[in-house]
Amino acid sequence: MALPVLPSPSNFLGVALVINRSRDGPRFVFHYPQLVPAQGLSGARPECGKDADDDDDLLLARPSRLDGFEASAPSVLHPDNLAQWNHDDHLVTESGTQIVPWEHVAGFPTKDLENILTPARAYHKRLFQVSLDPLYCVSYPIYVPENGVWRKKKRQQRKDAGAAARRDDEGVAPGDADPASRSGERGVSEADQFEGRDSAKGTPKTPDEAEDKKSSMTMFNLVFFLNPRKHEVKDLVDVMFVHIIKKINKAYKYCQQRSDFVWKESKKILALKDKGREDKRNMSALWEDILQNSSLAQSMQDIYEAVSQNKIAALQLETIEGMVTHSVQIPVPFHISDLPQDLEGDECGLWMTTANSLISDEAVEEPSYLDKNFGLLLLADEKKISAELQGDPDDATVSMIEFVRHCKPTLSFYQVGQQSSNVLTPAQVRKYAQHFIYWRRAIAIPPLHARDMYIVNPNCDMRKLPQATARWARQFPLLPALPNFLAELSVAPRPYKLHCPSKAHRPVYMAMLAWLMRGGWVTQLCTFAYVVVWPEVIYEVEYALEAEDIARSKRSQTDANIPPSPPAGAAALGDVAVAGFGISSSFLSLTTDDEPSDLASSVTTLRDLSLSHSHSLAPRQSPDPDLSPPSPRRTLSDPPSHTTPHTNPSLAMTPVAASQQPTAAEQAAEKARLERIADKAARELAERATAHARKAVPEQTAHPSVNAAKHLVGMSPHIILDAKKATGKESLYLSAIEKRLRGRSAAVASSAAAKMPRDRNVSNNSINSNRGGAPVGAGKQGRDAHASAKDDGRVADAWGKFSKYFNGQSALERIALQEDMKRKDVWNLLTAMSEYLLCVRHW
Amino acid sequence: MIQGIFYARFFPQQGTKIVAQSPPGCIVPVHGVDKPCLFDFNVLQEYIIPRKAFCNRYITINDPEGKYSVLGFPVSIPNPRYDRNEFIFNFGVVVDNDIDQVPYERVVRRLAVTFAEMEKQSGYLSQDHDRHPPVDEQQERGGRVIGSYRRRPIESLLEIIKEDLNNYGECMIPVDDANTINMKLFPHHPTPPEVKGWHVPVAKMKFADVVDPTWDLTMQRVIAHIDGVSDVRRIAYAADVSLELTQLALRHLLYYDTILLLDIFFFGACYAPRPGIHDFIANVGGMVDECAHYVCVGAASHGAPPLDQGTGTSAGGSVGAGEGPGSSGSNSMDPNGGAGGHRVSNYMLTKLMTTFCVGKTVMEWLKGHMDAGFDVLRFVDVRRLVQFGVIKGCLYRVHKYVVSKQYLAQLATGQAVPMAGGDPLQKYMDGCHSFDQIITEQNLADAEIMNKLKSFPSSGVGDITVIYR
Repeated sequence: MALPVLPSPSNFLGVALVINRSRDGPRFVFHYPQLVPAQGLSGARPECGKDADDDDDLLLARPSRLDGFEASAPSVLHPDNLAQWNHDDHLVTESGTQIVPWEHVAGFPTKDLENILTPARAYHKRLFQVSLDPLYCVSYPIYVPENGVWRKKKRQQRKDAGAAARRDDEGVAPGDADPASRSGERGVSEADQFEGRDSAKGTPKTPDEAEDKKSSMTMFNLVFFLNPRKHEVKDLVDVMFVHIIKKINKAYKYCQQRSDFVWKESKKILALKDKGREDKRNMSALWEDILQNSSLAQSMQDIYEAVSQNKIAALQLETIEGMVTHSVQIPVPFHISDLPQDLEGDECGLWMTTANSLISDEAVEEPSYLDKNFGLLLLADEKKISAELQGDPDDATVSMIEFVRHCKPTLSFYQVGQQSSNVLTPAQVRKYAQHFIYWRRAIAIPPLHARDMYIVNPNCDMRKLPQATARWARQFPLLPALPNFLAELSVAPRPYKLHCPSKAHRPVYMAMLAWLMRGGWVTQLCTFAYVVVWPEVIYEVEYALEAEDIARSKRSQTDANIPPSPPAGAAALGDVAVAGFGISSSFLSLTTDDEPSDLASSVTTLRDLSLSHSHSLAPRQSPDPDLSPPSPRRTLSDPPSHTTPHTNPSLAMTPVAASQQPTAAEQAAEKARLERIADKAARELAERATAHARKAVPEQTAHPSVNAAKHLVGMSPHIILDAKKATGKESLYLSAIEKRLRGRSAAVASSAAAKMPRDRNVSNNSINSNRGGAPVGAGKQGRDAHASAKDDGRVADAWGKFSKYFNGQSALERIALQEDMKRKDVWNLLTAMSEYLLCVRHW
Repeated sequence: MIQGIFYARFFPQQGTKIVAQSPPGCIVPVHGVDKPCLFDFNVLQEYIIPRKAFCNRYITINDPEGKYSVLGFPVSIPNPRYDRNEFIFNFGVVVDNDIDQVPYERVVRRLAVTFAEMEKQSGYLSQDHDRHPPVDEQQERGGRVIGSYRRRPIESLLEIIKEDLNNYGECMIPVDDANTINMKLFPHHPTPPEVKGWHVPVAKMKFADVVDPTWDLTMQRVIAHIDGVSDVRRIAYAADVSLELTQLALRHLLYYDTILLLDIFFFGACYAPRPGIHDFIANVGGMVDECAHYVCVGAASHGAPPLDQGTGTSAGGSVGAGEGPGSSGSNSMDPNGGAGGHRVSNYMLTKLMTTFCVGKTVMEWLKGHMDAGFDVLRFVDVRRLVQFGVIKGCLYRVHKYVVSKQYLAQLATGQAVPMAGGDPLQKYMDGCHSFDQIITEQNLADAEIMNKLKSFPSSGVGDITVIYR
């Protein structure tokens, strides 16, 4: 999720309210801030400077610079005077024309702006965007309904205060809101708020339609003045329109419909302005006055001040029917998944994680996955948030406070639900968490744990270091200073608990960690794994496949009168197997020209074997006993010369040949041909069998990663990219590895006990060596090696269970949460598997 | 794509009228064209010929449907010889709302400027009107052509402009004997970031092939020294160009996306994987093979298949054995130590790439692999491997920062004053300046800086810490 183009005081210049009236025409009601600076014509800003329009500008644009003023004040005013004008006092030209400071906005006379900013009804509730080089005016004009009456019939709404009624007022209807920004219940609670205030006031006087018509405001338009950079126009306009402009205009519309709010406030403001004009009041004084007297003006101020700083704008509109509140914001991501291009850009300081971006699609649909993988980190003090909630109570307040109380950054949502002794349902937990996250009171993080590793966030904003250091010192006065602590974390990744001097310090160190997370100073270093298939395993699987294949061919040759049909189960597997073999290495040139059905059957046999056959560790003399078909037949190692005479007669007697009754000569020719073919096939088979028999018999060593046997030289290890989706040969590899893990019994253990520590150091991908100072060290290895067969069984079982995480996307650190196991156990199991894993670590 | 282009004029009696349009009927209906107009002209006309205050500037407006944008530049020429002392016109283009409109801004400006000037000089447009009435009048008269043309009608001019810009992205159109309209659509690039002295530029193209003597002289000197190893400061020195000019020249190249900026490669530096490394492991788009070509020592010249299967060459087994039992990956290598290039296996490259880690310098990384029995330096150009990783987004440089707590405290309270004659290193101690910067700016080696820091005068023990990020 990339950061959107956000408004700032440099590209968001102001807001203005313009209305249109049926008789008196448009009026420019109010704008904020009081001075919307005139933007220099294009070329004035340095980034446009290189546009070669300069000559064009020279010809046309320059003379027009003061057009705006000329229009309203025909008598020539000294440009010098204008330049010095503070936009606060009134100026009087020589001819006696009064120049009123608030009648020029962004370098344009409001008289002209009010015309251009009151578009036709065609724009009703649509995006209206006009650019006046370089100023962009963006809005969402609201027109009076065709019947000319703003006010909605209330009685209807009273009756069914349900959802249907709410849906009517588009201003706040949850269904109408943009789904992306709508945070579940928020839409409802907004409606609740409106509805709630409404009902509190009781039924208003019956709307006097005549009076409504008299007010005769035909439209209002809250215009946003933007000055985006050239390549950001579309992005900024989109973001502002979807999240801010549309929503605020809808809120105004709601109030206008209920209580004629916009018109009444506009009248008030216009009256003040007219009076101010006569009295020649200073603009600043007048503006202060207006802001105090009009909640509409006040709300425009709130919008500008908040949105231009990219904060949450809370509108408070005092309608005669009570206060209407509404909050709008541009949702911003609180994390990014990779380092930004521009290290000092807007995204600097954001927390980096792939926890959100690397989860697979199916996992997202399953809420329990998220529940277990994420916890809530409150961005403000728990008490402060509780107080905020109590300050604006509604039905959900009590349970929300309960939720806040239970939320710890070390707990997943799932655990929060459990710890609250089931006061909170999982759905509630999710809903509240979403609510807090959307309204920027919290972020979702993988739960903090002392065993996990945390590093300095490569994207942290070092410019904030001085201030942050001071705050840190206030918060944790007796502990190492922030730079020291960051230095300690950054020098080499270690499990967090090793930074903690004693167990008694643990809680405060976890609080420090939460503090660092909040500020985006640290991020978790996660481990991602893939399965590595060592040449030894590849060879073993290939060898078994080949043996099986030869055995099959032989059987089909001798039993030629029985048409060679693959076992029933294999047919279904055929496609899968072939797909798997498509990517197989060129290990056996002999198997490549096989028919799919042959492969399929061999796959099934091998599967069966791997499942049923208990594996013996002694090197097998020959695969035949395992692989030969059930029929009592020659073993593969028989001399090939014997095969030919046996097969020939049976081939000649094919029923097809007999039924056609061809001539004798034809029969003889056909027979000879078939014999030749059979001969050749048999010879080839024999050769294959011999070749196969000559090959080195696969031998299982305790550590296939270091097996440098001659027959394995030149074979490259194979990386399985997603063990969960492995098919064909890759699935055979996986089961072969599982078999090995299961079979690592006492025989190996005893011999390996001595060998193991040395090997471990060498194999780089072992989790141990990667974990740096991880406590699971050599001492544990010994224990591992002596582990009983039961332990091996556990590892093998876990292999099947864990392999779905070996896809390079699931952090191994989160397996424990996901499987509801102890972290220590998970790490021990993973350590036992580590020889078969390729690990890489990042955030 | 320009969907429509038009010439609008304000007539004192009739108001705003479309005089010429292409394709016909795109703005206002004309006789004989059934296609609907792109938008309702009546709704937009006040933005096509706006109030006087908004004339002579570039104005855009979207149509209510949100489908099109109208880009125009209404021009008002005050002169007593016109009715109401003013001549107002606008040449506008209609483009789809969702395309990048920036390139068209110049087209619109150029049309406005050219025709305004021609009108001022010879009354080109106002004369034209006499022969060439607005569209609806044409219809009334049955499209009868009046007067004699010595030059192209504006309608056909507009059509050529539209067609040429849509098809070729540029146009060169003689308007009359003296005037030609030259226009081209230029894409807009954002301003490139600043080039720092410690950046290392890497060329994305062969400059030697494109450079010609007309290029800027400084640029020619600078690009001659872009080799993917030298930092900007060194390039400036080698090219005998001032640092500022070098930076400017490189920024120019950056603007056109012809160079990349990397960090300086040190064996003492630290690199760590980024999420992009998964693409490397999965060999997306043959990335690993590309890497092999780039990093394997001498591999590129030999088209030989990656490592023969080792059975024939007797050396195979023995070297492998000599490497000891610990050579976890080396058996996958072609162990033949003879002359010529080696193609390191994909697995080994993946292994090398994934074993970079936070808190481990390249040196330590190298040592780890050497100890494991793989002689990295013999097969792989480590610098190229690291740069490949950085360029492809697999690795990032973990920078080293020095921080003085005392200095930070001063900064936080705003008391920090540059110490005249004080330690030249102090200004780097706020955590915003990486060692690369200190190294290039102070011309010191990493170890020298560390030594200087140890003897940093003003601080007590433990004031200075080093943060890796």
